[in-house]
Amino acid sequence: MDDTVAQEKTMQTAAADDVVIHIEHLKKSFGDNEVLKDISLDLHKGENIVVLGRSGQGKSVTIQCVAGLLEPDEGNLTVLGKEVKELSEEELKDLRSKLGFLFQSGALYDSMTVRENLSFPLTRVLKMKDEAEMEKRVKDALESVGLEEAIDKYPSDLSGGMRKRVGLARTLILRPEIILYDEPTTGLDPITSREISELIVQLQEKYDTSSIIITHDMACARIVADRIAVMNDGKFIATGTYDELAKSPDELINNFFK
Amino acid sequence: MASALTSTINKYMEIVGDQVVFTGQFARNIFRDGFEWGEFLRQCFIVGYRSIGLVAITGFIIGFVLTLQTQPTLKDFGAESYVPGMVSISIIREIGPVIIALICAGKIASSIGAELGSMKVTEQIDAMEVSSANPVQYLVVTRILACTLMVPLLTIMADALALLGGWVGVNIQDHVSATLFFRKSFAALEFSDVVPSVVKTFFFGYAIGFVGCYKGYHSSRGTESVGRAANSAVVSASLWIILIDAIAVQITNLIYY
Ligand SMILES: Nc1ncnc2c1ncn2[C@@H]1O[C@H](COP(=O)(O)OP(=O)(O)O)[C@@H](O)[C@H]1O
Ligand SMILES: [Mg+2]
Repeated sequence: MDDTVAQEKTMQTAAADDVVIHIEHLKKSFGDNEVLKDISLDLHKGENIVVLGRSGQGKSVTIQCVAGLLEPDEGNLTVLGKEVKELSEEELKDLRSKLGFLFQSGALYDSMTVRENLSFPLTRVLKMKDEAEMEKRVKDALESVGLEEAIDKYPSDLSGGMRKRVGLARTLILRPEIILYDEPTTGLDPITSREISELIVQLQEKYDTSSIIITHDMACARIVADRIAVMNDGKFIATGTYDELAKSPDELINNFFK
Repeated sequence: MASALTSTINKYMEIVGDQVVFTGQFARNIFRDGFEWGEFLRQCFIVGYRSIGLVAITGFIIGFVLTLQTQPTLKDFGAESYVPGMVSISIIREIGPVIIALICAGKIASSIGAELGSMKVTEQIDAMEVSSANPVQYLVVTRILACTLMVPLLTIMADALALLGGWVGVNIQDHVSATLFFRKSFAALEFSDVVPSVVKTFFFGYAIGFVGCYKGYHSSRGTESVGRAANSAVVSASLWIILIDAIAVQITNLIYY
């Protein structure tokens, strides 16, 4: 895995066109609350970056900016080669169809069954009409998260871990090139957390996706991270591999690895 | 003091601005890339069918009570024969539409506000947006249109039941045949009584749907905002209904008299 990434990097030295998300000096405030002060980060193709940081540091705000849900005040933000703030409504729509977002709560649509939750993006975004093909896509997606039996259930009948999985299946069903995970394992028991973490890695390998994963679950970070970025006070204070950061003398960073 | 006043004014101007923008979003998304028929019909079912019981009982009782209240007075003047006409005019012109709209504001605007508010808080609306589905078209357009269509139908049903209630009320003391009662009721009505009052119920329905959606869609983060969205949806929808009613009566008078 690391080898292929390294190879790719040497092959594409000239242009940095294996960068799928490029964030440069991003700033964002809500009224007087200055949340993002200076955020810069590059996500490369096929890479999983874990973003670590205490609650309320602006991790979710960062990926919401990437998905175009929030508009940054300043700075550059390029996703798949396109400057997000300059996109028209149609172009943004097109970009979002290549972008998956797993919300912290799963964000399953309460009024719909699992099947309807999963076919919602198929009919709305891909304008898919063929029932049989849709059914197959839904079943495939559920199978890849190991939840075929939940197809006719409502979200309120599912456990926390199952909701996360269904949320993941709904994200995957459009075969996104990039997935943004907001705390995929928070609130789950250690065994389920581990399963979800392993699922993230499997999906990365199977569909060749690039991901930003927000978490403060170190077990998860260890499993999924190719690289870790530590956020504090609206800035990234360090990036590196798990082992590099684990050895860091800086107390702020070190605290996460205890 | 002055700065508190300007900041309050600014806040209200901001809300007005937001509502104008929201109206624009609603209008632009009605027929964009097809129409959400499935969700629209489901909302018609929820808004209309599920309110039938409440609206029917309310309508019947309004007519019944109105008759019992006025009958003795009219009798003193020897004018009992005016009871059906009095009941039908007051119900159809004013009491039916306004009371039913206020009842619907309590039942429908609050539930839409709470539903969309909780979808907002649990990031379901964001999820629709990032999956490139169109939450305004799917959630807002369908709900506003369902209310605009269903509130008038509910009102017409309530009006009919109110007349029935009136007939039952008359028959507690006197004996009046149903045919006579309804003939007199309808004879008292004119075109200028019926049409404006039906037209204004469409506006009532729109206001209920719009306010419910607006409050829910714009509720802030945190679970307590769901309750606040539901509550303020009822308050502002009721206020809008009274305002629209006041405007409607002016317009009707200008046109017909
Ligand atoms: N839509 C918003 N409106 C106002 N404030 C927000 C919004 N989103 C986030 N914030 C504020 O930004 C800060 C960072 O939030 P967030 O990114 O959710 O933190 P976390 O790092 O835990 O994900 C918090 O103080 C939060 O209150
Ligand atoms: Mg967060």
